Amino acid sequence: MAEPLHAAVESRALFGLVAEFDDVGSVTRAARAVRDAGYERFDVYSPFPIHGIERAMGLRPTHLPWIVLALGLCGTSVALLLQWWTNAVDYPFRISGKPLFGIPANIPITFELTVLFAAFAAFFGMLVLNRLPEHHHALFELERFARASDDGFFLAIEAGDARFDAASTRNLLQSLTPLEVLACHDSGQSLKPPIGVRAGILALVALALLPFAAFASVRWSTSASAPFHLVKDMDSQPRFRAQAGNAHFDDGRAMRPDPQGTVAFDALIDDPLLLTGRGGETWSETLALPLTPQFLQRGRERFGIFCAPCHGLAGYGDGLVAARALELQETNWVPPASLHDPIVRSRPAGQLFDTVRNGVRTMPGYARQIPVEDSWAIVAYVRALQRSQNATLSDVPAAEQAKLGAQ
Amino acid sequence: MSASLHEQPRLGARGARFGYLALALGVIAVLAGLYLGRAQDDGFRRFQHAWLFACLFFLSLSLGALFFVIIQHLTRAAWSVVVRRVAELLAANTPIVALLFAPLVILALRGDSGLYPWVDAQALAADPLLDGKAVFLEPRFFGLRCLVYFGAWALLGRWLLQRSLEQDGASDAAATLKLERRSAVALIAFALSANFAAFDLLMTLDPAWYSTIFGVYFFAGSVMAFFAAMIVLLRLLQANRMLDKSVNVEHYHDLGKFLFAFVFFWSYIAFSQYMLIWYADLPEETAWFQQRQHGSWAVVSLVLLAGHFVLPFAGLLSRHAKRRLWLLSFWAVWLLCMHAVDLFWLVMPSVEHQGALVRPMDAACLVGVGGIWLFGLTRLAAKAALIPVNDPRLPQSLAFENL
Repeated sequence: MAEPLHAAVESRALFGLVAEFDDVGSVTRAARAVRDAGYERFDVYSPFPIHGIERAMGLRPTHLPWIVLALGLCGTSVALLLQWWTNAVDYPFRISGKPLFGIPANIPITFELTVLFAAFAAFFGMLVLNRLPEHHHALFELERFARASDDGFFLAIEAGDARFDAASTRNLLQSLTPLEVLACHDSGQSLKPPIGVRAGILALVALALLPFAAFASVRWSTSASAPFHLVKDMDSQPRFRAQAGNAHFDDGRAMRPDPQGTVAFDALIDDPLLLTGRGGETWSETLALPLTPQFLQRGRERFGIFCAPCHGLAGYGDGLVAARALELQETNWVPPASLHDPIVRSRPAGQLFDTVRNGVRTMPGYARQIPVEDSWAIVAYVRALQRSQNATLSDVPAAEQAKLGAQ
Repeated sequence: MSASLHEQPRLGARGARFGYLALALGVIAVLAGLYLGRAQDDGFRRFQHAWLFACLFFLSLSLGALFFVIIQHLTRAAWSVVVRRVAELLAANTPIVALLFAPLVILALRGDSGLYPWVDAQALAADPLLDGKAVFLEPRFFGLRCLVYFGAWALLGRWLLQRSLEQDGASDAAATLKLERRSAVALIAFALSANFAAFDLLMTLDPAWYSTIFGVYFFAGSVMAFFAAMIVLLRLLQANRMLDKSVNVEHYHDLGKFLFAFVFFWSYIAFSQYMLIWYADLPEETAWFQQRQHGSWAVVSLVLLAGHFVLPFAGLLSRHAKRRLWLLSFWAVWLLCMHAVDLFWLVMPSVEHQGALVRPMDAACLVGVGGIWLFGLTRLAAKAALIPVNDPRLPQSLAFENL
């Protein structure tokens, strides 16, 4: 019975001779001996990586690092180009005064893409250089070879090697004190995956293309029905538009009049002088609130917070914002007024108050940020500033005049 | 895998002679530095900065070594056993830095605000930015913290060396097992102390400025400098026929990988610190970089960018660069110099407002502290073999090969 079986085995193509070893040391020694004997097409199989095996086998250093470097640099340039194009060219949008293409802001993406490209290059490059994935290998036909992933150490010399000779190669392997030397035959099984696997992969690829096909078909066709609306967000809300009708109300209108007795924000004017700066038809020449040192101090603080950024601490219109705009040579920038301009100085206190509340020209109104009392405090401080810049010696207290004279 | 030790290297009489030579040179340099500092006529303000710079340079090497030794025990690393004793000696050498650093603490305790401006309590109270830090920036509390830091490092370094020496003469692996078990706690102690020491010794030079990542920045530079110093020290020992049969290119290759990794880690942290401050653009944070981005300090910043990151990164990237010992040694020396530039750049802008000016006293202090530090190192090494001769993983380390 054994004879015909043996003959059948021999009839298949010989892949090579496989020697099994007991441990790392003996397989490493064997690899060294096979290398020294001049073989080139042979490989070592072990359950774990063996330190130094590439030298024992005489393997040339891999080209993989160069591929990784090249694709890593590719990732660097893709990231920089992407950010430059999107942020500085295609849709320039200045955020908090940063340059449109500022290197520090772009480094994190550049770093990540470099790492991503390099990692992909390492992983897929390794697969390609190892000719993986490989569905079938002749060695899998040996039952014992399964132990290469458990506790077996194998060295296989392929029949395709120029120096391969069934007898002398077997002698060489036998001399290396293996556990066993086996001949490995290739059953000629197809290297292609089975039809089921291939069909499965094809089906997955086809399925992956389906959404794109659906998008494309909708993109270039017309339809009477409403568009797909998977994520509603706030596109359609249960609300009524202005001027629209609403059957729930007697008058049939969606817009409602104010209920009786409603007073809108700042619509109540019970003290016109205090709230508008006007006494009758004309601007008030005086402050609407009593002037005290605390009041003036409050005005100074509020002025520093709300006014000085543009008008400058001394009120000459040279604040940081104005200075920055000047530095950037902004074309549509209207410089803030100097508070010491004769026109501004001649304005009544009530008008200055109105300017603080409602703004003037490009200056916005500050009624929402600054309460009425603080607005008057600012007006008081502005008056003090104006006087300080146009003072005469007689304005200085007598005690201080002496000091000035001394200087 | 088995390999046996073919040498039992000790530093010997030549090492001791070298130590005394270094000490003599160091003392002369310190005296020269003191003379130059006095000639500056600024109440030793500039000298204190130079002295801090020199102390930090050698402290950082020892701190890097401390981290390395703890990590080796924690991960039960085998490859590093042949080089671990040298690192243990470096790690055990912090007390001498503590001794050298002590005068700066004493000056602070005596109210000299030449180095740390916050010593002046009135100046602190006058600045609303600093007033809130007054509890922490208090000379006596500062002195106590310094005592804790240096005490912790001295104890850790001594403990790691003693247990390792105990293993040299032991018949079982009990000492090694104990080192492995307790290294986790040691690592936590190291992380906290090194982090806060960086805040205290360096960041408070500009008391208004703060950066939460600063401790990591100092740590990253320190560990990088340690690996560079290890490579240089091992090459010097081998040039004097010590360790030359045990330490081979495989071990250098791994030290080179660490060196490369920490070159990048330093850059990563340095950039993270810079980018967040650049992006947030808050005046109290940008002031520190503002100072370093103008005049000749800007040139030093660019030198750091190129010399501490771009060039060594490219130079150490390849496997071949790490395995050619002359090339690896070149980068190690280069990076040690860059680490000095980095520390100079951290310390000096708070006193050299006009620009980056290296004064002779900087070199004198560096040589002075370095000489005394080296003397301490040779004294420690005199008592020990330069290899953990009886470590359970020594055969693995001797036979170590990279993948």
